[in-house]
Amino acid sequence: MTEYPVLSVTTFLPLAGAVLILLLGSDRLARWIALATTLATLAVSAPLYCSFDKSSSALQFVELREWIPAWNIAYGMGVDGISVPFIFLAALLSVLCVGASWTAIQTRVREFYAALLVAETAMIGLFAASNLFLFFVFWELVMIPIFLLIGVWGGPRRVYSAVKFLLFTLAGSVLMLVAMIAVYHAFGTMDFKELAGETIDPSFQTWLFVAFLAAFAVKVPMFPVHTWLPDAHTEAPTAGSVILAGILLKMGAYGFLRISLPILPDAVQLFLRPMLVVSVVAIVYGAYVTLVQKDVKRLIAFSSVSHMGFVTLGIFTLNKSGVEGAILQMINHGIVSAALFLCVGMIYERTHTREIKDYGGVAKAAPVYSTLLALFCLAAAGFPGLNSFVGEFLIIGGAFNTQAWLGAAAVWGVALGTTYMVWLFYRVVMGEINPGLEGLKLELNVREVATLAPLALLAVCLGLYPESVLSYLRVPVAELLAAGVSP
Amino acid sequence: MKGAATLADLALLVPELILVGMALALILTARRIQKTPVAAVGTVLAALAAAVAAGWTLSGGAQTGFSGMITVDGYSQFFKVLIAATLALAALLAVRSLDREGIPQAEYHALLLLASTGMMLAVSALDLLTLYLGLELMTLCSYILVGIRVERPASNEAAIKYFLLASFASALLLYGISLTYGLTGATGFAGIASALAGQDSNPLLLVAIGLVTVGIAFKIAVVPLHAWAPDAYQGASAPVAAFLAAGSKAAGLAALGRVGLIAFGSETEVLSAVLLGLAALSILVGSVVAVSQTDMKRLLAYSSIAHAGYALLGLIAGTPEGVSATMTYAFFYVFMTLGAFGVVIALGERGESLDGYQGLAAQRPGTAAVMLLFLLSLTGIPPTAGFVAKFVVILSAVRAGHIALAVLAVACSVVSAFIYMRVAVFMYMREPRDPAPPRYPMAVSAALGVAALVTLIGGISPGSLTLWAVSP
Repeated sequence: MTEYPVLSVTTFLPLAGAVLILLLGSDRLARWIALATTLATLAVSAPLYCSFDKSSSALQFVELREWIPAWNIAYGMGVDGISVPFIFLAALLSVLCVGASWTAIQTRVREFYAALLVAETAMIGLFAASNLFLFFVFWELVMIPIFLLIGVWGGPRRVYSAVKFLLFTLAGSVLMLVAMIAVYHAFGTMDFKELAGETIDPSFQTWLFVAFLAAFAVKVPMFPVHTWLPDAHTEAPTAGSVILAGILLKMGAYGFLRISLPILPDAVQLFLRPMLVVSVVAIVYGAYVTLVQKDVKRLIAFSSVSHMGFVTLGIFTLNKSGVEGAILQMINHGIVSAALFLCVGMIYERTHTREIKDYGGVAKAAPVYSTLLALFCLAAAGFPGLNSFVGEFLIIGGAFNTQAWLGAAAVWGVALGTTYMVWLFYRVVMGEINPGLEGLKLELNVREVATLAPLALLAVCLGLYPESVLSYLRVPVAELLAAGVSP
Repeated sequence: MKGAATLADLALLVPELILVGMALALILTARRIQKTPVAAVGTVLAALAAAVAAGWTLSGGAQTGFSGMITVDGYSQFFKVLIAATLALAALLAVRSLDREGIPQAEYHALLLLASTGMMLAVSALDLLTLYLGLELMTLCSYILVGIRVERPASNEAAIKYFLLASFASALLLYGISLTYGLTGATGFAGIASALAGQDSNPLLLVAIGLVTVGIAFKIAVVPLHAWAPDAYQGASAPVAAFLAAGSKAAGLAALGRVGLIAFGSETEVLSAVLLGLAALSILVGSVVAVSQTDMKRLLAYSSIAHAGYALLGLIAGTPEGVSATMTYAFFYVFMTLGAFGVVIALGERGESLDGYQGLAAQRPGTAAVMLLFLLSLTGIPPTAGFVAKFVVILSAVRAGHIALAVLAVACSVVSAFIYMRVAVFMYMREPRDPAPPRYPMAVSAALGVAALVTLIGGISPGSLTLWAVSP
């Protein structure tokens, strides 16, 4: 272990970049500083993946400093195998967001990149926090830049969507604040590991579970509190959608893994059945709603509801296959939905329409774009050999082990997923070219191909060799389940 | 040592004496300095000197003076520094807007100084009578400050409303004091406490405690004693409203904290019940009614009512930890509220209505950014001081076993988020409607900078302040 505080540097480097951008008054420079900052952040996070000890379930790269000594609240950072992949994802997607916004954002450029970088700090910090207080601080911090990203640079209904996003998120998180305070009052500590070691009265656990659930369910989002998501994702600028779909949705599920499962095992048992049912409803209902969408972005947004249903289903199967699959699915969904939003954003920049009926025959004009889109659509549909297949397979396996009907419902969800993805692809890319698209330069430029390439590579690599992520998860998931939550 | 005040007694009042001295000097030279910045500079210097003196008077440890009517301890020093800061910021923020609104320089500053003197007396009072004198000095100056724009009917109306309601509240406070004296034979906090310690519960005592609490709570503007605040803030000049919202609340909370903990320390149950009701109502009414406000000063008035409710959450527990939570809340509240009012002042006429904020971020990105910071802090979102403040008082409520109240408090913070973020929406997500506001003077920038710095640092590293916020 090194003395060099990798996690703090990774977390706060983007913030420093944001300050620099705001201090220097140049829009041109802002893009380059943002790109350099996000690339540097990805680079300095490298030790997290390279020198990570996969055979240990203990927190690694731990940093523990006094913060508010009077209240026994420490500045605690540390990662285990569950959090490391998310830090990588957040750092990578931030780079791609800068790439995707290069020409798309022309107004208030400095503020845009500053908000993006603050969001990156909050996202990475959230996955690196080793105590509840810090977790909460980052949880709330991420809300503000996203609120601004949607509300300032979003589509026509941006203000409505931004306020809806903010109020939904805040309504959930204030209950988490009360739960956090109650936990702190009862045990005098906020450290995740110490809290997991406490024996908490089951009825107290129930209350805490409900309060945390309010925060996590909104973020995931679980049925029926998902209604902010289609609005926010659709109206957000491409970078905002990428961050929302890629990272923000994972924060809720990560909360279940980091707080609900290890700290509140009795309550998890109590709520197991409703959680599983709600997950399955999200999968199937989300898929049906996705089928009828007319707006490309809204379609992908609704597919997230369905895909995140798989994640919560996997988590609450409470078996190894299900939980590992759920985490893998979180990463996969982060890659694929981010890629799909990037694809939509790139073509929107040229056509200025998101209606599916305005597209058609794009393959003729933009073969490279169509190939990449095909790859990501197939990945989203769970095509074998691509990344999502493995995660969904593991989750469905876990679900069958719990109760057969859960697995059956999930399979139905996969079938519907294939339908809406392939149908979307068919309507946008295949057939004769839509007259409205004639004369537009639809093909991607080098910058855009470079933005999509890392995600395409990951989709293929994780599909062929999922072990590269699973190897991180194995030990911490085993410990998580051994600690008493498994049925 | 009963009898005449000695020099040693007076030495305890050095901060107050500095403020009074400066006020008298300004009044005597009023004619000469009317169009100059002398009054503002003098007030800021006096405030700084008073803050330093507050530290200096404590150097010999906690002491009492004037036959135990006044004390100098960590608690009073904490609030004196806070009041001095409020005074200095209110003086800085008023630069230019006084001349624009035709408010006489010397009188405005002299009244600010005297009102601050009253606040400082109130926070160091160890006797209900000293407390009353301090609060009345503060309130008398406030009436005139609210009505100082003599040619404006709105200002006069606000002052008269404020005067009538406040006189009523003062009468309640006095009545409570006389009942307390009748029951215990004492007006000193220690005397009351020792007399009550041996007594059984007495219905008259409940009335006495209720009246004293309500009388002081009026100064903090908590529901149902809040009706004056929106009218007074709206009718008053913005710097006056800022001063009232920050200073009079801090002084009232300090007084309530000490009275509750020391004088009525044995009657925690009664006091808690009264404070619980006031806090819950204030949070609820303040947050909900603010939703429909379109005048910024009224909006901030309702916000300040809700915040008074949050601050009371700490006092409900009736414990020293609870009082320190309220101290922390009061401290951060003063800076974020002065900051928000500061932006209103900086934008001039445009800042007073919600519509004026349309497109501000495109015209004045810096001003919009600090306003956003204050709004986030008022909402209680980390990493701002408002979050830390909310955290400590809700922790205090949870410790006292009032989980339902804690949930009510956070639920209302979502409602208030809607209000504050609406201002943010206007600033960031609408196109500018009015021409860019004129540049504001350095003094206003400096005041905004100080408020923003405290709001930010308080959120990132609240540790150092919590060492200071020690209850009596």
